[in-house]
Amino acid sequence: MKKLVLQAAVFGVAGVLAGAALAAPEKTECLAGAKPGGGFDVTCRLAANSLLAAKLIDKPMPVTYMEGGVGAVAYNHVVGKRSSDPTLITAASTGSALLLAQGKFGQYDENAVRWLGALGADYGVIVVAADSPYKTMKDLVEAYKKAPNDFAIGGGGAVGSQDWMKAAIIAKSADQDPKKIRYVALEGGGAVLTALQGGHIKIGAGEASEMAKHHQAGKVRILGVMAPERLPGDLKDVPTAKEQGFDFDWVVWRGYYLGGKVSDADYQSWVDTFQKLAKSPEFAKEREERGLYPYTVIGADFDKIVKNDVKKFKTLAAEAGL
Amino acid sequence: MDLSYLWTGFSVALSPMNIVIGFVGCFLGTMIGALPAIGPINGIALLLPIAYTMGLPAESTMILLAGIYSGAEYGGRISSILLNVPGDAGAVMTALDGNPLARQGRAGEALMISGLSSFVGGILGVVGLTFFAPLLSGLAVGFGPAEYFVLMIFAFVTLGSMVGSQPVKTLIGCVIGLMLATVGLDATSGAYRFTFDEPELGDGIEFVVLVIGLFSISEAMLMLEHQASGGSVIRIAGRTFARWADIVRCTGATLRGSVIGFVVGVLPGTGASVASAVSYTTEKRISDRDGTFGKGDVRGLAAPEAANNATAAGAFVPMLTLGVPGSGTTAVMLGALMLYNIQPGPQLFAERPELVGGLIASLYIGNVLLLIMNLPLVSLFSRVLTLPNWILVPGILVLSIVGVYSTHASMLSILMMLGIGVVGWLLRKLGFDMAPIILGFVLGRVMEVNLRNALAISGGDLSILFQSSISIVLWIMAAAVAVLPFVLSWRARQVRAAAPQVP
Amino acid sequence: MTTSTGPRGAVRSDRVGAVVLFALAVLYGLDASRISYSFSSDPLGPRVFPLILAGVLALLSLIYFFRPGGSEPWPKGRLLASSIAVPGLVLVATILMEPLGFALAVTLLVTGVGRIFGASWRLALISGAVQAALWFVLFRYLLEVYLPGGSVFGF
Repeated sequence: MKKLVLQAAVFGVAGVLAGAALAAPEKTECLAGAKPGGGFDVTCRLAANSLLAAKLIDKPMPVTYMEGGVGAVAYNHVVGKRSSDPTLITAASTGSALLLAQGKFGQYDENAVRWLGALGADYGVIVVAADSPYKTMKDLVEAYKKAPNDFAIGGGGAVGSQDWMKAAIIAKSADQDPKKIRYVALEGGGAVLTALQGGHIKIGAGEASEMAKHHQAGKVRILGVMAPERLPGDLKDVPTAKEQGFDFDWVVWRGYYLGGKVSDADYQSWVDTFQKLAKSPEFAKEREERGLYPYTVIGADFDKIVKNDVKKFKTLAAEAGL
Repeated sequence: MDLSYLWTGFSVALSPMNIVIGFVGCFLGTMIGALPAIGPINGIALLLPIAYTMGLPAESTMILLAGIYSGAEYGGRISSILLNVPGDAGAVMTALDGNPLARQGRAGEALMISGLSSFVGGILGVVGLTFFAPLLSGLAVGFGPAEYFVLMIFAFVTLGSMVGSQPVKTLIGCVIGLMLATVGLDATSGAYRFTFDEPELGDGIEFVVLVIGLFSISEAMLMLEHQASGGSVIRIAGRTFARWADIVRCTGATLRGSVIGFVVGVLPGTGASVASAVSYTTEKRISDRDGTFGKGDVRGLAAPEAANNATAAGAFVPMLTLGVPGSGTTAVMLGALMLYNIQPGPQLFAERPELVGGLIASLYIGNVLLLIMNLPLVSLFSRVLTLPNWILVPGILVLSIVGVYSTHASMLSILMMLGIGVVGWLLRKLGFDMAPIILGFVLGRVMEVNLRNALAISGGDLSILFQSSISIVLWIMAAAVAVLPFVLSWRARQVRAAAPQVP
Repeated sequence: MTTSTGPRGAVRSDRVGAVVLFALAVLYGLDASRISYSFSSDPLGPRVFPLILAGVLALLSLIYFFRPGGSEPWPKGRLLASSIAVPGLVLVATILMEPLGFALAVTLLVTGVGRIFGASWRLALISGAVQAALWFVLFRYLLEVYLPGGSVFGF
């Protein structure tokens, strides 16, 4: 049985109340702002397992969980309480940048932490039911333009979420007001799949790694991947949106940040470690096992990407009227 | 019919670890059932967070919880018979004939007969589940937002018209649960609701916190008042083997009880208490020609026991196929799945056959284990009844703290657990039942999200709620269940008026 | 056992309960009408469903007010104090868990609650010590659930 140690915030809180410190910290730690098994957990385990496998750390890196507000609670915790702790990395994703852009991470903005790097990515996809008459993005957008009210679009998130943003991009390319989309907020990719199969929605927004197996099994059809280039593996025959004349991609990077007060030296040492990690064969294997596509951006480049994303999402949100 | 999921399931449930886990679940379940203080919901609420923190895989946790659930339905009869205090809600009717039998010095026989009918009810229920679940999950693809919303209406109507002597309190409980479910991030618009700017509330009220507060903390407070009124445990004496004639005599009652239990279990929202009440009154109407019911008639003992065990299996049907709990206990198990990030629903059957199959297979194994445990070892479990409250209650409280601590470790969670516990205590003193609150909480999100998604698809046109044949059938069923109590009481009055005065 | 008895007392607590529930409906409804959001993809938005719930609860609490019944008598005096002391002790034990450690905090809780439930000091203390040891070993070593060792004694 796998030992799952939950080092708990309450002990921290109670400890502060009583003026006592936490138990001796492990050498390194990864904080996941979700439950075990969620997206941030996968991100943390990618770093923890591959760092250990590549022998870049001696002792296992424990993963701790702090659920709340899709990472908001963890973000506030890191900024407020562990800003100068050089042993802690925290999982983040494109979704974090999106929430930061919408001001949903509370009082802190994207400059409150140090963005370390991304070690993998997933990409947005547009799917229809297997028996849908639409074979290409162009068919779909043309038909959508003629009768937007006949097309309920489903995604695994609320208004303002990544899947909604993808739906808004489609609507915009068909000259429709994103506010008027008949958008159905479902609970994750599994529900999108069922709703497509049952004919309750006509278009689904999702992520490549999850939908690829259903596409392969003939349950749904992926019309286009929102990536700069074609994806390897099951989806190598699916054209990108760009190939079909639509200039949109949706990269879901999976990365990490450090506290904002971590010294330059500590930051640099993490950057070096990650760069070594990215070159190791153990890492490639671990990333593949987690269904992530290659996407390695570390250090200053990553910082630039995150800040660009936030800016881009602010514009998108403003355009969509959020 | 494709039963391959069941064979996959047996290979999961028969792994050495899962057999041990199933055994532990059945054993603990029987104890939890026997103890009047805690029922299956409470037991599951206490053990779920621990199983989860231990890192048990989802299917093993479900096997553990299912073992507790079925075990509790067996164990509940022990204190009903020996103490005249029902061990849990499903065993209320068992006391009516079971305790008189024990008073006549036939406690051993009563325990054996009820054990046997529990087994028959349990096994028939699981067979029903095995065949019914894939059928219903085939239908499930047809369930879109509109159909789910109507299904929720049906569930609440069933709950309001069938559960409890005071429908107003049942409905208020549901609404409170629905309100608690609206706390947190709104899944459609992304707005924060009722979070009072507290980021920890962003994801809503934690399920474990709610269930442990409502059931364990408030129960501990209530037990203080109830402890003065405890009765005495009847010793098991006389023959321990039931007469063959008695067993034959209650065959009909057992079979009818099993069918009624299964059907009531499948209905969303209604659990063992309703099933055993319906089966007891039905059996009384059919078989009680000499007025022996209530005075120690074995048939009055067999019917509700078969029913409450069949209910446990039936309640899994809507839970595993539609993601809608069939009873309060399955509502908690649904919460357990969500803890594992598993979204119950029609895709569950296709995507997690090892989980669904493993759970169903474990119910077969569990019922056999339970029969073995509950016939020869019943006197062991009856010892549990002599455990004093000053040992038991602190133990429940320690489990509560560890449960909330290990899954949602923050001071706020503990404070919320205690606050919810005190409010639950107040409500229980006012005569409210806690199960509707849990059902409302679990179903509330499903109800709101699907209503809004349905209207998003139709652009605000309400007619979408009446379009598909599934919706129409569900509306008709809801209407039928809503008027049923009125028809029944009208008929009862007619019969009473027509009947000649009996001196 | 001292309890307020009589159907009149029960009706009164039902009525008070109904008033409190009505107030809850009003407060919840008011807060619901203030939910802020930019826009929603569905015609209802995040406010309507809570407002409906507030309305239904208000209606049900009115029915409850005029058709009371079914509540139990309230405990009084010592019994009431003891009932409230149970969650109180849980709170104290939770706060002390970090500095004192799980084992000592649980000893305190089990002993205290044991006393409330009528055990003698001797039995309550024995039960406290035994349960603390049992639960600690069970969770820490058999089930591998993390529990604080306590910092005061430097475990």
